[in-house]
Amino acid sequence: MESILVGLIILLSVIVLVQLLRVNELISEVKNEDPNEITEKDNNTQGILTFLIVGVLFLAFVLWQFKYWGIHILPPASSLHGATIDTLMNVTLGLIIFVFFLTHPVLAWFSLKYRGLKNSAAYYYPHNNKLEVIWTVVPTLVLTPLIIYGLNVWNDITNADTTNSKVIELYAKQFNWTARYAGEDNSLGKANYKLVKGLNELGVDMEDENAEDDIITREVHLVVDQPVLLKMRSQDVIHSAFLPHFRVQMNCVPGMTTQFGFTPTQTTAEMKEQEGEDFEFVLLCNKICGAAHYNMKMKFIVESQEEYDTWMASQKTLKNTLTLN
Amino acid sequence: MQLTLKKNKTSKQLLWIGIVSIVMFFAGLTSAYIVRKAEGGWLEFEMPVWFTISTVAIVASSALLLFAAQNARAGRSATNLLLGTLAIGVFFTYSQVQGWDDLVAQGVYLTGEGSNASGSFIYALTLMHLLHLIGGLIALGITAVKSKQGKYTKDNYLGIQLTSIYWHFLGILWLYLFLFFTYA
Amino acid sequence: MSEHHKETFLTKYIFSLDHKMIAKQFLITGMFMGVVGMTMSILFRLQLSNPGESFAVLEFFLGEKWAPGGVLDPNMYLSLVTMHGTILVFWVLTAGLTGTFANFLIPLQIGARDMASGFMNMLSYWFFFAATLVLMYSLFVESGPAAAGWTIYPPLSALPQAIPGSGLGQDLWLIAITLFVVSSLLGGLNYIVTILNLRTKGMSMSRLPLTIWALLIVAILGVLSFPVLLSCALLLIFDRSFGTSFYLSDIIINGEALHNTGGSPILFEHLFWFLGHPEVYIILLPALGIVSEVISVNSRKPIFGYKAMVGALIVIAFLSFVVWGHHMFITGMDPFLGSVFTFTTLLIAIPSAVKVFNYLATLWRANIRFTPAMLFAIAFVSTFITGGLTGLILGDSALDINIHDTYFVVGHFHIVMGVSAIYGMLAGVYHWFPKMYGRMMNKKLGYFHFWVTFISAYGVFFPMHFLGLAGLPRRYYTNSAFPMFDGLTDINEVITFFAIIGGLVQLLFIFNFFYSIFKGTKASENPWKSNTLEWTTPVERIHGNWPGEIPSVERWPYDYSKPGADEDFIPQNVPLKEGETEH
Repeated sequence: MESILVGLIILLSVIVLVQLLRVNELISEVKNEDPNEITEKDNNTQGILTFLIVGVLFLAFVLWQFKYWGIHILPPASSLHGATIDTLMNVTLGLIIFVFFLTHPVLAWFSLKYRGLKNSAAYYYPHNNKLEVIWTVVPTLVLTPLIIYGLNVWNDITNADTTNSKVIELYAKQFNWTARYAGEDNSLGKANYKLVKGLNELGVDMEDENAEDDIITREVHLVVDQPVLLKMRSQDVIHSAFLPHFRVQMNCVPGMTTQFGFTPTQTTAEMKEQEGEDFEFVLLCNKICGAAHYNMKMKFIVESQEEYDTWMASQKTLKNTLTLN
Repeated sequence: MQLTLKKNKTSKQLLWIGIVSIVMFFAGLTSAYIVRKAEGGWLEFEMPVWFTISTVAIVASSALLLFAAQNARAGRSATNLLLGTLAIGVFFTYSQVQGWDDLVAQGVYLTGEGSNASGSFIYALTLMHLLHLIGGLIALGITAVKSKQGKYTKDNYLGIQLTSIYWHFLGILWLYLFLFFTYA
Repeated sequence: MSEHHKETFLTKYIFSLDHKMIAKQFLITGMFMGVVGMTMSILFRLQLSNPGESFAVLEFFLGEKWAPGGVLDPNMYLSLVTMHGTILVFWVLTAGLTGTFANFLIPLQIGARDMASGFMNMLSYWFFFAATLVLMYSLFVESGPAAAGWTIYPPLSALPQAIPGSGLGQDLWLIAITLFVVSSLLGGLNYIVTILNLRTKGMSMSRLPLTIWALLIVAILGVLSFPVLLSCALLLIFDRSFGTSFYLSDIIINGEALHNTGGSPILFEHLFWFLGHPEVYIILLPALGIVSEVISVNSRKPIFGYKAMVGALIVIAFLSFVVWGHHMFITGMDPFLGSVFTFTTLLIAIPSAVKVFNYLATLWRANIRFTPAMLFAIAFVSTFITGGLTGLILGDSALDINIHDTYFVVGHFHIVMGVSAIYGMLAGVYHWFPKMYGRMMNKKLGYFHFWVTFISAYGVFFPMHFLGLAGLPRRYYTNSAFPMFDGLTDINEVITFFAIIGGLVQLLFIFNFFYSIFKGTKASENPWKSNTLEWTTPVERIHGNWPGEIPSVERWPYDYSKPGADEDFIPQNVPLKEGETEH
C-alpha cells in the first residue's frame, strides 16, 4: 500500500515537471526565443551567482566550520613524537589554507569579472612560457623544504632507538584486544598460532623461558615519560592499532609482527583535568575487520611510576595463570 | 589496397598492445613470486623433466610456424605446417599435465596441508600460461582451416601473421617462466 | 562507405558496432549504476547520523533480513559501503566516464568513421554489461554482497567465516571485476590504436584536443595496470577456492586454526595498489580532459599553455605508477620505502599546480559563457584545488600516521576524485548532449541541478575533514562505542542532510536527461560555436559520422577569439589564412 502511494507521488511529480517545462517552452515560443540558448542575462546571473556561492558562501562555510567544529579536533599530542607530528601538521595546514584562500577568490573573481556581457571580448592568450615556468618553479621551491621536513619527522619516528623501551604486545582478533607485557626480562616469549588453546589465548610457547614472566592484561598501563615499544600481532584478519591521542597507528597483520615505539608525555589524570572527567586514552581498530569493527577497543592509562607499580603487582604472570589454575 | 594495409597495421597494433597487457599480468604474478620468496619459508624442489620437454616442444612448434609463415609469404600452402604446429601445441598441453603429475609425485602440492607457496605459484603460473596457450591453439586451428580453404594469398595472410605473433609470444613467455622458475 | 547498410532495431540499439551508440550504452548503464551507488550511500548515511534508529526507507530497500525493524544490520552496513565504493570507482567513474567519452569523442574528434575495431568495442560493452549483471545479482544472495571494503584486503575477503559477505557475495564480486577488467582492456586497446592510427589528414598529435590526450593516457594507464589487478584477484581466487596460501598465514577463525602458513596479506596490498593508484588517475584524467575542453570553449579563449597541459598529464600519469605505497605507510613497510613514496607522492603536487594555474590563466580576460557545463567545469577547478591540497597532508607519511583510514581520507578522495570526476562527467554530458541526441538539455533545470549539487557536495564532504581530525575511523557502523566521538553528531547530521538533498537533485538531472532526449528543443549543428571536429558532423547522427569526405584538419583546436578573425571561433577544418601563424 505504502509503496503504491510512493509510486503515485513520484509519477505525479514527474508529470508536473513535464507540464512545467512545456509551459516554459510555450512561453518562449510565443516570445519567439530559444528557451535553451545561453543569453547575456544568463551569463550575468550565473557569473554573479558563481562569485557569491563559490567566492563568498563557500569560503564563509569553511570559516564557520573552523570556528564551530574546530573544537572537535584532537587535543595536542600526548606523546613525544606526536608533538613533532603536530608541528608538521600545523605548518602543512597553514600552507594549504593559505593556498586555498588565495586560489578560490581568484577563481570566483575571474568568473564574475569576465562573465560574457554585451560587447565584452576575450583576449587571445595561448601561452606565456615565463609565467608557466614561474608556477612550476614556485610550487617546487615551496614543496622541497616541506618534503625534507616531513621526511625528517618520519625518519625520527621510525628509526627511534627502542633499546630501553618497555615491550608490550598488542594482540588483535575479532573483536577485541589483548595486551601482553614482556615482564621482568623485558622480552616476550615466542608464540605460535597453533598453541592457542584455553587460557593460553595468545598461543604463547611456554617452552620458551622468556614467556614465564609475561603478563596478559585487558587494559594497558603506561608510565609517563617512559618509552614503550608496542608489538602487534593479529589472530585472524588485518586490524589496525590506532591510538589517536598519541599519534600512533600500525596495522596488525596475521602471520607477521609489526611495531611502533613512542613515549607518553601526559598522564590520564592530567588529560582529565584538561579535557573533562570522561576523558580516557583509547585504542581503536582502524582497519575494517568485520561486523563489530566499530566496537573494538581497549583502555590505555598513563600514570606515575608508583601507580603503575601498584597495578603491576596485582597482575599474574603467564606461568602462574597457566599452571596454577 | 590502402585500406587493407591500414587494417593490417591496426590489427597488429591491437595484438601487440594486448600482448603488453598480458606481459603486465605475468609481471604482476612473477613479482609477487619474488616478493613472497624473499619472505622465507620457501620450499625448493626439482623442476620436472616434463617441463624441459615442454620447452623443447614449444621451441619446435615456433620453428614450424616460421616455415608456415614463409610458405604463406611465398604463396604456397601453409596448411600442413600449421597443423604440425597445432599438433605440437597439443603435445605441449599434454606435457604440462605430465609435469604437474611429476610435481605431485615429488610432494609439491597446489593446496592443502603441506603445500607451500612456491608450489602454488608454479601451478598458478603454468595454469595461466596454459589458458593463454589454449587461445593460441584455437587461433591455430582456425588459421589452418582458413588456409585449407585457400583464404590466404601471397599479399594477404594477416591471419597467419597474427597467429604467428601470438604463438611466438607464448613461446617466449614459456621460456621466461621456465628460466624464472629454474633460476629466480 | 559500406557502413550505410540497413539496420534493424537489434543491430542499431543492442548489438551496435557504432561507437556513438556504444558510448550511450556505457553512459546509461553508468547512470543507472550511479543511482544504485548513490542510493546505497544515502542508506548508510541514515545510520551514521541516526545510529540505531528505525527508517522505513531502509526496510523498504533492504527488507526484514538486512534491516530488521528498519534498523540497518552491521554486516549490511559494511556491504553497502563496499558496494558503494566498488560501483562508484569502477562502474560509474571508470566505465561510465571513460567508456562514454572515449567511445563518443575519440572517432569524432580525431576525424575517424569509427573505432579501429567496432567488434571489440561492442564486446567491451557486453563484457561490462555481464559484469554489471553479476554484480547486481550479488546484491540478492543469501549471505549478502561483498563486505570487505572496495579494496577487498584479505584475509577478511578470503574467509567466509570472518564476515558473511566474504561468501558467495565475494565470489561474485571477483567474477564481476574479472569481466570488468576484460571489458576495460578491450576498450583500452581500441582507444590507443584508434588514436594512433585513424587520425584524419592534418590531425598531428600537437593538434589533438586535450580530451583526446587525456583519454589516450588513460587508456595506456589502463592497459598497464588492470592486468596487475587481475593477477592480484587471481591469487585471491586461488586462496578462496583452492585453499592456497598466497595471502594467508597463521590464522585462527571461529576457533578453527587454518592450515595456511607463509602467505602475506601485504603482498596483496602491493599488487592491489599497483593498480589502485593509477586507477585514481584513470578516473581523474578524463575529467581533466573534458574540463579543459569545456573551459576553453566557454571562455571563448584558447586553453592556456596547451603543451604544459599535455606535459602535466604525462607527468601525472607517470608518477601514478610510483606512488602506490602511500596507501601502505602504516602496514609496517620499510621506513625507507615510506620515504621514497612520500617523495614521489608529493611531487604530483607540481603538475597539478601547473594545471590549476593554467585553468585560472584561461579564465583571465575571458568572455565566459555560463552554460551548465561551464559551471561544472569551474566547480571542478574548485574541488580539484580543495581535494588536491589535503593530499599534501595524506601523502606525507609522518602525517598519515594519525589520519590514515579516518574520515579525513574519505573527505579528501571524495572531493578530489569522486566529486571532481562526477563534475567532469556532468560537464561532458551537458556539453556533448546536443551532439549525442540532436537536442538541447533544459537550461534552467541544468542551472538548478548545478547549484544544488555544488552546495550539497561541499556540504557532505568538507565537514568530513573535521571528523577525521577528531580521529574518527572510516567504516564504523556507529561511533557511539567511543565517548570521545559523542560531540560529532551534529556534523554527521549536516552531512546526511546534504547527502539526501544532493542525491535527490541528481534524480532531477536524470529526468532532464531523458526528457530532453525526447522533448528537448532541437539543437543546431554547432550550438556552442566550438572548434573541434565533432561539431562539423550533421545533427542527424549516422554510422560513419560524416556523410561525405572526412574533413581535414588545418589548425589546432583552440583558436577562440583569435585577432583578425571574423568570429570568435575558427573550426579546426578551416585553412589558415594567408600570413596567419598557427599559434
